[in-house]
Amino acid sequence: MAKTGMERLQELKKDVFRCIHCKACRFAYSGEPDRKGIGEFTGKQGTVLYEGMVDSCPAGIEYGWEAFWNAGKIWIARSILNGDLEFSEEVRDVLMPCITCGQCSAQCENKIPTVDIIESLRAALIESGVPMIEKHQLVNRLVKELNNPYGGAKDERMKWAKDAGLSKYINNKDAKIGYYVGCTASYRQVEVAIATAKLFDLLGMNFTLLDDEVCCGSPFFRIGAVDTAQELMNTNLENFKHLDKLYFSCAGCYRTFTIDYPKWMPEGEELPFKTQHAFELISDLISVPKKKKELPGKIDEIKKKLKAKPDKRLEAELKGLEAEYERIKDFKGEIKFKPNKELKGKVVTYHDPCHTGRHFAIDMEQNMIKKSENLMFDMRKIDKMIEDWFDIPRIILRKLEEDVGIKFTEMYRIKMNSMCCGAGGGVRAGYPDFSIRTASLRCDEANAIGADFLTTECPFCWRNLYDANEMYEHGMKVMGVLEMISKYDLLDIIEKPEF
Amino acid sequence: MSYKLPDEKDLEAMIGIVGKNYATNNKAITASYLAKSVMGLESQIPDIVVRPKYPEEIRKILLYCSAEKIAVSPVSAGLSGGFACPTIKPGGVLLDLSRMDRIIEIDEDNRYVVVEPGVTNGQLWAYMAKNYPDWAPPIADGAPPAATVMGDAIDRGFSLYTSSVGPQGDNFMCAEIVFPNGDVIRTGSWALPFAKPFYKYGLGPDMWSFLMGSQGAMGVVTKVAVKIYPHPKFKTVVAWGMSNPHDMQDLTLEVGKQEFGISHNTVMVQGGNYPLVMTRWPKDKIPHNYEFFEKIGVSRWWMNWECWAQTQEELDYVVNRINSMAEDYKKNRAKDPDAMKPWELHPKQIASRMKKPNKIAIPYAFWEAGYLFITWYTPWNDCAQFADMYCKAMEKYGFPPVMWIASIERCRQAICMPIVCFDSTKQSDLEKVQEMNRETTEYGLKQGWLNYRPDPFIHIEAYYKASMYWKYLRAFKKLVDPNMIMHPGRLALP
Repeated sequence: MAKTGMERLQELKKDVFRCIHCKACRFAYSGEPDRKGIGEFTGKQGTVLYEGMVDSCPAGIEYGWEAFWNAGKIWIARSILNGDLEFSEEVRDVLMPCITCGQCSAQCENKIPTVDIIESLRAALIESGVPMIEKHQLVNRLVKELNNPYGGAKDERMKWAKDAGLSKYINNKDAKIGYYVGCTASYRQVEVAIATAKLFDLLGMNFTLLDDEVCCGSPFFRIGAVDTAQELMNTNLENFKHLDKLYFSCAGCYRTFTIDYPKWMPEGEELPFKTQHAFELISDLISVPKKKKELPGKIDEIKKKLKAKPDKRLEAELKGLEAEYERIKDFKGEIKFKPNKELKGKVVTYHDPCHTGRHFAIDMEQNMIKKSENLMFDMRKIDKMIEDWFDIPRIILRKLEEDVGIKFTEMYRIKMNSMCCGAGGGVRAGYPDFSIRTASLRCDEANAIGADFLTTECPFCWRNLYDANEMYEHGMKVMGVLEMISKYDLLDIIEKPEF
Repeated sequence: MSYKLPDEKDLEAMIGIVGKNYATNNKAITASYLAKSVMGLESQIPDIVVRPKYPEEIRKILLYCSAEKIAVSPVSAGLSGGFACPTIKPGGVLLDLSRMDRIIEIDEDNRYVVVEPGVTNGQLWAYMAKNYPDWAPPIADGAPPAATVMGDAIDRGFSLYTSSVGPQGDNFMCAEIVFPNGDVIRTGSWALPFAKPFYKYGLGPDMWSFLMGSQGAMGVVTKVAVKIYPHPKFKTVVAWGMSNPHDMQDLTLEVGKQEFGISHNTVMVQGGNYPLVMTRWPKDKIPHNYEFFEKIGVSRWWMNWECWAQTQEELDYVVNRINSMAEDYKKNRAKDPDAMKPWELHPKQIASRMKKPNKIAIPYAFWEAGYLFITWYTPWNDCAQFADMYCKAMEKYGFPPVMWIASIERCRQAICMPIVCFDSTKQSDLEKVQEMNRETTEYGLKQGWLNYRPDPFIHIEAYYKASMYWKYLRAFKKLVDPNMIMHPGRLALP
């Protein structure tokens, strides 16, 4: 039996009570006051000083009241737990305009899982009988009727694949690998779905698209409609259970399957398949062959040093490298990119989707903390793991710079400190104006470094950034990284991978 | 004293002053202003929150609330002076001053910056680092980045220059204050129309000092002029380890007494004991035995001197002088000379200690779920006795004995800060903290030590013991706040 929102909130009580209301959570780079930036930039949403710490909680920036910044919400949770405050529509209207981007959690020195707390609060709020806001009621109704929150017809979910000549992959019974497309790429950003499926096709992957795929449930986990989310989860688990591995092109779907499902599944049950985002596959095809060539030399070098003089740190490093080599030694496949005149010299920047970036990093951190016996020592490992995680899309972008000639330039706020696009947490559906203004703030940041292309790896971020780019005339092209590779025909396969 | 519980009519009045977007009695919003940790455990949910932008709005709010006998508690924006002294009983109106966040003026010749109360440490530091890199504001070292510059003043706090130049209150030249009687007063040279805020004691007896440490119990500070100081590029940290607080105290005093050319260059002089390192991690995920910390190079007690100088030669001179004095102390006067040793800090440790503002004080809630600073001021050469007494008390009550001590004005005074790490989900822990606070307060006051930020219920004893002083404090408050509406309960007022 799955837990209720209130039960989850009770479980998180100690985390809630760790908040000291220091408010470091409102800033990106709250621990780097001396960080050098790009100075002041006046964009479409006003002037921001991209130096040191920068206010980065979208709801706090939009609404101003303490309750909308994260620390305020944690103290609302504490009041609920203490019985000083009851759920009401007033409380709902403060809790809902949070994008659950997790910036606050990334900044917290007390490692408070803020997104978990806010989602549990929302779930408990809905359980208490407080009605959802109207727009959330609408998407909740739509998903129940049509299996997607956009109102798209059920039988049109795979229309994009048919139109793109990829019908052979629909319900492909031979395949043990699936591509879970998600609602946004199926009904809205079909460019992302087509690009991803075509890349898989080029790489020789035998995969399946299931036309009885339903919404992953992400928006409903976020807005507290946990019953709806769990129904969708159960349908998906049933539909995909025969597969070994599931690929994703949507950050939200990937996060939901990988992080949320195990939390909401009955205790003791595990996901029946492995999950991976398509960009991890592309990144591996660039980085692993290189590592495979370099590692034996590095291992020999350390062995020589150890022979001359024992050293515990080197021994540990050797052990790690040997394990890494063991993991990748049978890996097959290598790619590079073709040069492209149209893209050469173009400034390309990358927006980290919260769902694939920070949320995964925080989840890794929380899991490592749980397992650790000496966190002072393990914290370095956690930091390294997070750095490696955020490097995955950057491996692709650096390779594009090397082979294609794009100029990959980072925005000021990146990785754990990345500014959200404004779409998540039910905010795009519930509070569209605020959502687009937040996306425009992010577009301002890309404008500040002179970006021609604002890339990302999530169709939901893509949508919001695209709309803000159009609406506020930021003058860039918004594109998925894999979409860029597919659209400009950049893929050059050196060795076909084995799946 | 009884106060009116604000109602819808009062909310309408507030909206009439600041506009509908900046006054509310939304229960979720009012609850979000709670802060039962770090500096106090008495926070109560206010009835109305108002976010004014201009002094004139504040004047109207105070006049209204005074007439209606509604309690008013101002918070600047961050943890220092703001969320550190939130609304307590009887609730009332909370003034959130975070919209007043302008950096108004920086004068490099007279060396001051004029800021509004909502300007945070992080904001001012980044602005000056970009635009005035040779100067730095006296922001609190260790207070979170969202703490405010003004809040630190009103709390008589501690800043990164305090060890060198003196108490944080001395860094404030002039202020503009709105009183509940409707008067707006400007202190120091600012009292004279058109004068720069260049002199604190401009027109004789200084009224600003009545506001220092007032924690919003007198009026609302709407603007302050704060000294800025050179921000030289040659910096390092010198640290020495020892086995006991007495060697830490006596060596530091010897260095402090050198003053010219040595301790004037030591911007942060702070030390503590090894539980200060241990309790930054969860209780069940870090070894508790000292042997572990010894292995990684942490002494039982230590002191660091953060040294800033204009040239490398000057920096080398200061570092060498501190080290040679420490060697001499170890050889001739140390209680436990064998345990005294220089602490060779890794460059990353040095960089981390020099980062301003930093988050160094935040993770003590990671140990369990909450912590409290019960901070005291003592004469410097009492700080070891204080540490002995308090560490024993913390152990007696089942808390780890975490102690942080820093020098004020070249060891004229000490700020002694036991960090009580506890589980705030447990009522029994909360009761133990308060019981220990009561017991140690009784002892501390007998020694003539002062509470840095008086707890309105426990440290009130200090005011009862200083009854004549309290009488005049009360009289001054009555003058500016005739209906005693400002932050009732703070400073044992009314």
